[in-house]
Amino acid sequence: MGVTSILFWSLSALALISAIMVLATKNPVHSVLWLIVVFFAISGHYILLNAQFLAIVNLIVYAGAIMVLFLFVIMLMNLNTATEPKKNLWMKLAGIISGGSLFLILISVVRSSVDMSQKSALVKDGNIGLIDTLGKVLFNEYTIPFEISSILFLSAMVGAVVIGKKN
Amino acid sequence: MNAIILSAVWGVIMMFSSILFKNKGAFKYIAAIGLIVLTVANIANTYGCDFFNINTHEMLRYTRFGLFFNTIAFLCTLIYVLLSGKEIEKHGNYVAEYYALIFFVLCGVSILTSFNNLLMLFLGIEILSIPLYILTGSDKRNLKGNEAALKYFLMGSFSTGLMLMGIALIYGGTGSFQIDVVRSATLFGTFSGISFLEVAGLLFMLVAMAFKVSAAPFHFWTPDVYDGAPTVFTSFMATVVKAAAFIAFIKLFEVRIADTSAVINWGMLLSLLIIATLLIGNITAVFQQSVKRMLAYSSIAQAGFMLFAVFSLNDFAKEGLILYAVAYSLATIGSFAILAKMKDITFEGFNGLAKSHPVLAATNTIFLLSLAGIPLTAGFFAKYYMLASVVKTGHYLWLVILGVLFAAVSVYYYFRVIQAMYFKEGDAQAEDVTPGFKIGLIIVAALIILVGIYPQVVLNWLYF
Repeated sequence: MGVTSILFWSLSALALISAIMVLATKNPVHSVLWLIVVFFAISGHYILLNAQFLAIVNLIVYAGAIMVLFLFVIMLMNLNTATEPKKNLWMKLAGIISGGSLFLILISVVRSSVDMSQKSALVKDGNIGLIDTLGKVLFNEYTIPFEISSILFLSAMVGAVVIGKKN
Repeated sequence: MNAIILSAVWGVIMMFSSILFKNKGAFKYIAAIGLIVLTVANIANTYGCDFFNINTHEMLRYTRFGLFFNTIAFLCTLIYVLLSGKEIEKHGNYVAEYYALIFFVLCGVSILTSFNNLLMLFLGIEILSIPLYILTGSDKRNLKGNEAALKYFLMGSFSTGLMLMGIALIYGGTGSFQIDVVRSATLFGTFSGISFLEVAGLLFMLVAMAFKVSAAPFHFWTPDVYDGAPTVFTSFMATVVKAAAFIAFIKLFEVRIADTSAVINWGMLLSLLIIATLLIGNITAVFQQSVKRMLAYSSIAQAGFMLFAVFSLNDFAKEGLILYAVAYSLATIGSFAILAKMKDITFEGFNGLAKSHPVLAATNTIFLLSLAGIPLTAGFFAKYYMLASVVKTGHYLWLVILGVLFAAVSVYYYFRVIQAMYFKEGDAQAEDVTPGFKIGLIIVAALIILVGIYPQVVLNWLYF
């Protein structure tokens, strides 16, 4: 077992445990903090795949900007006291059954994908996640989606202004 | 590419026009000009004249079916703008921005009719949805509208999350974002080249798309959002947007269902979805007191009928979907335009409308008859093509019988409005309508009857 696989397994364990903690903690602020741990673990995975740029962007955008926004919203809405609405028993039961069946299906799906374990295309070429490769792919093959996403952001911006301004 | 680029550009033009023009009434005409330009450009594209020669790396692929649907969507929006432009002007000071958002939605529509890549599908769905969240909440002082917008946004984001998960799983299973990926059996040799990751991903996509087209059991947002949003925007959401989501649905599953049918029984899955949608939509619509809410539930029921196209996936289904889009959009736009003029939107509010506003009552009758699928209206042939497509597949004939039964149920609640207008005493209060509005309604009603008598008027354009 080399250093890489030790790192891989410990990062995976960290990601899974903290993801469960996001759901398990009663306090929303703690949930957000655990979510930051998840993002750090995933960034670690990106570094293992030799994708430093993605790792840094993941940290800056998600763990940095978006999580700070989450924290602000939670604190401004004063949600940090655990005020959970009471749910009725049937609702819980239906949730457990449907969630459980989905879990079962996903586990069987993951098990069936054993035969592709040796065929991962991503790590074969070590520099796929580096910034110059990413830039070349983005501006050659993926120009169209890249440009079209600007329409998405434009419409979101127009919407934010329309909603935010006084009538 | 014409439609995608020009609709985005015209959205920007609409935004700038709010600086140049102070008169609210002008925007309606600028938007109408834009829609005419879009229609012409799109028709030029259909006949081989693409103004923008861009290498899309096979991410977008133009078919006659998709381009023709674009034309229908633009023309329906043109009718919608001309009929309901006055209503849009009533909602605040940002009329030009609302039109800009409508143009961005049309950009999303043109992406959804031509995508060949899951990434483009995702972008299309998002460009379609985000302006709608805003239009839903555009009436800022209305608490119901705010609630509807927030609900729509949260549930829509959740379904987008499911869609992304599905796309990721499909990518894991096939190694490509293209929808018509060529599988090599040696790569993932479980079931003749089909990986279970892909099937699980398709299930997630099914849930997300069913949410977008408001099929039961993913319909819970629909009544609240359609009821809470301003009536003019409900009419846009329920027609052009919904039909576009169906085109995306059929485009995605057309390729994938045949490929993966070895491992999953899509027929049974989709027929359960159809039955649930028809049942919930029709039965709940019967018990509504408000006409707007009744139309919201009936739009779930209509989605059930459109799902027949996704179920059968043959030529009949595609023709039927086009016809359904025309019939349903025209009738719903007209019906909502009249609803927006009413003072009281309960069934009682329509009592005696035939006496006070005979033109509104007569055209509304035609719209409702078309929605119910009575012969000589466009709705009849739309429903007929849908049912015939299922008959043509040769399986699940009981689905056809159920479809006819539920169509009969739908007659009940549509006729309640007609009965209120013609056979009940009362003084229905409607706002003053201009002669232009009446002429517009008559033209829409005439189009519905024309398509109802000669459905080939529409369908021929698919081939010639």
